[in-house]
Amino acid sequence: MSEVVRKYIPLLITFIVGVIAVLDFYTTVPAIRGTFTVLKNWGIVVTAFALGVGAVNLFRVHGKRIAERGELWPLSGWLLFMLIVFVVVGLSTGKFDASWQYKWIYNAIMLPLGATMYSSLCFYMAMGAYKVLRIRNIDSLFLFLTAIFVVFGNTPIFPAAFPGFFYTREWIFKTIISGAYRGIRIGVGIGAVVLGIRTILGLERGYLGRA
Amino acid sequence: MSAWEKLAALPREIVLTIVLIAMIVPAIRPFGLPIMVGKMSKDWYNTVDSLPEGSIVLFDIGFGSGGYPTLGPCAVAALHQMFEKHLKIIIMATALEGSMMYPLIMEKVKPEKNYGAVYGKDYVFLGYIAGAQTAMAAVLGDIHTAVKEDYYGTPIDQIPLLKEVKGPESYDLVAYLTTDGGIAEGWVYQAYSRYKLTVVGGFLSMMTPSLKPYYDAGALKGILDGIKGAADMEYMTHHPGDALRATDILSATQTIVLIFIAIGNISYWGARLSKKEGES
Amino acid sequence: MVSTDVGVWIAAFFTIVATSYAFRDNIFFRFAEYTFIGAAAGHAIVMGAKNVVLYGWTHIVGGEPSYWIPIILGILIYTRYHPQYYWIYRYPIAFLVGIGVGISIRGAIHADFVKQIAATAKPLIATTPLGTLNNIIVFVGTITALTHFIFTYEGIHRGAAGWIPRIGRWMMLAAFGGAFGNTIMTRFSMYQGRIIFLLRDWLGIIH
Repeated sequence: MSEVVRKYIPLLITFIVGVIAVLDFYTTVPAIRGTFTVLKNWGIVVTAFALGVGAVNLFRVHGKRIAERGELWPLSGWLLFMLIVFVVVGLSTGKFDASWQYKWIYNAIMLPLGATMYSSLCFYMAMGAYKVLRIRNIDSLFLFLTAIFVVFGNTPIFPAAFPGFFYTREWIFKTIISGAYRGIRIGVGIGAVVLGIRTILGLERGYLGRA
Repeated sequence: MSAWEKLAALPREIVLTIVLIAMIVPAIRPFGLPIMVGKMSKDWYNTVDSLPEGSIVLFDIGFGSGGYPTLGPCAVAALHQMFEKHLKIIIMATALEGSMMYPLIMEKVKPEKNYGAVYGKDYVFLGYIAGAQTAMAAVLGDIHTAVKEDYYGTPIDQIPLLKEVKGPESYDLVAYLTTDGGIAEGWVYQAYSRYKLTVVGGFLSMMTPSLKPYYDAGALKGILDGIKGAADMEYMTHHPGDALRATDILSATQTIVLIFIAIGNISYWGARLSKKEGES
Repeated sequence: MVSTDVGVWIAAFFTIVATSYAFRDNIFFRFAEYTFIGAAAGHAIVMGAKNVVLYGWTHIVGGEPSYWIPIILGILIYTRYHPQYYWIYRYPIAFLVGIGVGISIRGAIHADFVKQIAATAKPLIATTPLGTLNNIIVFVGTITALTHFIFTYEGIHRGAAGWIPRIGRWMMLAAFGGAFGNTIMTRFSMYQGRIIFLLRDWLGIIH
């Protein structure tokens, strides 16, 4: 009994919901259309609840670190404080992200941090290009040549002086990149579809977590 | 350590400082270089341009703070063209931070001031909708059962523009800008594959190669290839902005990168050949 | 003129300390990092709450009691932290996986498979010699890249036919080179936005 409730009913839910989603694509039966419309709307709500999981994990990890006075525990306290500040400002006005107070803290804190954290990888790209992008053998020669020509084409000063750089870059995208990535996309597409079908049929159960 | 090896091992601080200077100098003193418009951007522009006045566009802001410097200018230029054409735009966000990008973008487009557009009649913002592809499918399939209020809390039956949307066939174009591969594929799956709608997409340049097969196969009618696409759009729409300013910065920094690549290879081969000579 | 807006100064501070890590790890960067993680998690809660209200609660208030189901399912996600009843969270996850997988594979079959094969199965001969050459490169690239991923038949990688996946490998490496070139542009184009912010919005050096 417990096996049925713990394992097989969730697998059945996945199967039924997955099959309805697929049937909605291939049939015009109003009952299926209507059911899937409701399921989609429910999906938005359930996903919205899942957005809080990260915060709970942070509270567990950093709460423990603070209690045990672990490494950098004052920063853990600051992290949880920031989390609470955003939640309080977001929820207290009743307007969520549309209030000016929330926009202000977002623009002052999260926007510059998000933009800089992701973009400062450019410095590693520069270091990577300097230290790693080297012609060592025939394989790396292929990679090197297209990389160089694409960078030349992407650097406006070169096409401005020699338009050929621009056309070479366009040609690389039109032929080499289109060809190879189409092969990759077909391969990835087949893999995703097969994995999806196995999941709907209950053959892939990793998402159920621990046994 | 030989001279070649020294050349291959410049301290990280020196390399990064040179790169940083290469960014700052052209920002202060722009070169004003011309740009050449790519075919993918031209196709986006022409697709929007061919729509008759009053066509309904579903526009997705699928990026947050990380993608804003690149895709923000794309969004601004793309919306300039759409408002200029008097298209009706339903804006939504599939990225968690997308709703925070909306005011930043609109602050630059200024649809009321520049185009006399009226919120609710000519454009509307639905805010962030969770669920990625589920959200796309819900909005495309039946917006009236999925969405009850807009970003500002106005009931959607009081918004004239949304009354015009009867079903997926009401959308004349789906346009999206995203930093997320799943979102980029999702719009193709949900809007093009499911409803055969016309779709144009913009993403970070590093995503373009893997998504270009959709463009080649006709699923995407146009692509904005990151900052290059944004600069192309600013140029075509005659609204110069941050992307055209960025072309000078890119010229300087990427030239420095090319120089470092050359130094890296010269020193590598120099060291390798001198080693061989030493052995023989 | 240098900005007098406190928000701009805070943003400038975070921009500089977040960049500092590229040069060397330091406590200021750690501070920025922890701030960002906390803020991002808080933002996720705010957006989640707004979506629950807008897409769940408004339906219930509007006379659709069936929307209690996703709300209950959503709450059940948090049973995963309970040592005994953790398995209950499988119900909402099973629902999300079912809808997520079902909704994506139907599109993937069409866009990633049918459309891509249809785009490949086109005449190679074009109106110009360069067009024909381009078509041949795309065709060869697609077929050889695909053969590189055939792992169930070893014979394709060895012997007389071994050159096919080898060409595929070179095609893919060349394509990855192009992608690398674009990645360089992406990263620099992202950071230039911060440079413009510092010089224009904060220091007022440029306009």
